[in-house]
Amino acid sequence: MYAYTDFDRQFVHARAAQFRDQLQRHLAGQLPEDDFKALRLQNGWYVQRHAPMLRVAVPYGVLNARQLHTLADIARVHDRGYGHFTTRQNLQYNGIPLTQAADVMDKLAAVDMHGIQTSGNCIRNITADALAGVSADEIVDPRPYCEVMRQWSTLHPEFAFLPRKFKIAVCGAAEDRAAIGWHDVGLQLKKNAAGEVGFQVFVGGGMGRTPIIATEIRSFLPWNQILCYLEAIVRVYNRYGRRDNAYKARIKILVKAEGQKYFDAVEAEFARVLAEDVGAGLQLIPQAEFDRIAASFARPAGVVPGADLPAVTTVSSDAPLPYQRWLQRNVHAHQVPGYKAVTLSLKRAGLPPGDATADQMDAAAALSERHSLGELRVSHDQNLVLPWVQQADLPALFEAARAAGFATPNIGLITDMINCPGGDFCALANARSIPVAAAITERFADLDEVYDIGDIDLHISGCINSCGHHHSGHIGVLGVDKDGSEWYQISLGGSDGSTLSGAAVPGKVIGPSFAAEEVPDVIEAVIDTYRAQRLGGERFTETVRRIGLADFKAAADAQRHLTAAR
Amino acid sequence: MQFIQASQDSWHADVGEDGPQPHPPVRAHSLLTLEQWHAVREHWPADVPVGVQLANNVDIETLAADLPPNLSRLGLVVLHFPKWVDGRAYTQARLLRVRYRFAGQVRATGDVLVDMVPLLARTGFSQAQLRADQDTEVAQRALGFFAGHYQGDVLQPKPAFARDLAQEAGPAAERARAELHAGQGI
Repeated sequence: MYAYTDFDRQFVHARAAQFRDQLQRHLAGQLPEDDFKALRLQNGWYVQRHAPMLRVAVPYGVLNARQLHTLADIARVHDRGYGHFTTRQNLQYNGIPLTQAADVMDKLAAVDMHGIQTSGNCIRNITADALAGVSADEIVDPRPYCEVMRQWSTLHPEFAFLPRKFKIAVCGAAEDRAAIGWHDVGLQLKKNAAGEVGFQVFVGGGMGRTPIIATEIRSFLPWNQILCYLEAIVRVYNRYGRRDNAYKARIKILVKAEGQKYFDAVEAEFARVLAEDVGAGLQLIPQAEFDRIAASFARPAGVVPGADLPAVTTVSSDAPLPYQRWLQRNVHAHQVPGYKAVTLSLKRAGLPPGDATADQMDAAAALSERHSLGELRVSHDQNLVLPWVQQADLPALFEAARAAGFATPNIGLITDMINCPGGDFCALANARSIPVAAAITERFADLDEVYDIGDIDLHISGCINSCGHHHSGHIGVLGVDKDGSEWYQISLGGSDGSTLSGAAVPGKVIGPSFAAEEVPDVIEAVIDTYRAQRLGGERFTETVRRIGLADFKAAADAQRHLTAAR
Repeated sequence: MQFIQASQDSWHADVGEDGPQPHPPVRAHSLLTLEQWHAVREHWPADVPVGVQLANNVDIETLAADLPPNLSRLGLVVLHFPKWVDGRAYTQARLLRVRYRFAGQVRATGDVLVDMVPLLARTGFSQAQLRADQDTEVAQRALGFFAGHYQGDVLQPKPAFARDLAQEAGPAAERARAELHAGQGI
């Protein structure tokens, strides 16, 4: 992973000192909440239902064991013993008192971490494929490019107060594991016929009240121009994005309203940046700088390519079937022969999806030290990944992961759902999402059934802000508030843009919202409809595409006993 | 960064009882609205310093005819923050400096908080008229937290990767930085 220099280290400490100064002024009554709000947000501090929430940045999802041990320590000492991994590969705490905020930032800075730009109307933490640098289908490793862009966007003085938040996602593999079409800017790394690296640039995607898929603005931008090009994209947005209505302020609304005119404005601005601006040429990334950063992401010294062993199917355990299932679902192909990437599932009964206790964080860190050269990844579907596992270690890792509660063999299946913290914690939420997730997990407790249902993306958001990505779920659940009580809208057929799911598209709502108690029945009825109608090995989302929504809607409506279909 | 007290300001708006005068007289250090400026610019003497105030939704290109390399007769451009979290004026200031090479004063007015001052300095503002309840001492302190930044800006066009960072990260750099931020600015 990226190795912090003295400059980087001093920078995060300076940020922590600056935040301490702001916090002290706030607590002393010299900085009113209205003014403090935007400052704390840009350090990751929200004010939530029970206590402030802190969102810690995990740049492009890459984490080391030392950092995760520190995150565990913070959970234990300053919070109530757990944290929540998010769809943007970050970690959130929900119970740290604001008076301890500056101390927590110092602890984070000590392990090269921070909360910079994890919230606020600025360029947010950049996300990437959780399997970057290890996946078998990789074209270009996105991590060095992500790091260059992280540095460029960090405390950018011109772009700290944009009309709205701004999210960039990067993918360098054949398979899009970063849902780039759903981002304000989505970047696909490519190689052209000459073998040169460049970005396919998409702009104007986003979820929320108006789900829109990003549009291609450049089919191939030479990699070294990316900072100037992003400057043009963000500058045109900063100047012309709407500021009169927060729901219409994302770049997707500008791109949709202006269309080609926006693209032309970006290209014109880009040309002027390169041709006219003082210092523009200095922003073209020199090969030497790229090489310096890329050196941090070179294959770790401990990785020794071995022979790809035939799949190990026996385990000295009393549980051969769970082990085989784990191999099938939680173990992923690797670009180095003899290695695998392994997902530690954070989706299991008894804990909200994406949550980890302090002890579990320590356990995951220890597993990474033993089996993955001390490195972990946070995936956008809220699991942890060990990227450097030797194939021969798999049986031992399985046993250890199972003992720590990480070996639920459900990756990509219905219980591996994406879920926001919802109304239990979040002040924005209209409805709770954790109890819905728990009820569905309970309903689908039988692994044989879960395997029979097969690949499916179930995404649950507690409100239209869409942190639980309901728009991109094959099944999406959205919490809505009507007359002060919780209701849930169900949508079908959404896609995050993966090969399995098809081109990115928002799901379609299947009728008026349901009562909370009805939701598990509705999900089950929808699943039963799929199982009754599927042809051959057809997956859920393929059946939805083939037969349309009518039968699913009828099955769902038949579950209504508290609500009326219209 | 120069902090402007309205009572001691050498620049004066030409505002009558009915708002800005449509055709203000030629006076040194007049601070005009864009409309006023457009009404008088044709016959404004080149040796009389004039300032212009821009709303934050006006394109800097609007002033191109009065900016280098065409003309350099504006002494001051005032950019406005209607709300401190509305960041459009940062882009205006940066373009004035890096694209038009404007060398006069660039001033921030409106909802200007001490915590904005580092961003103002880095995007090319040389003056700030802080909101009435703000403390200039705190603003000075706000300028001192960071030894350097990653991306290039108006004060330092070189991004971190084009600089010798050893010069910025040591104790000597800390002292130099403390002196740099002791009151002057751009």
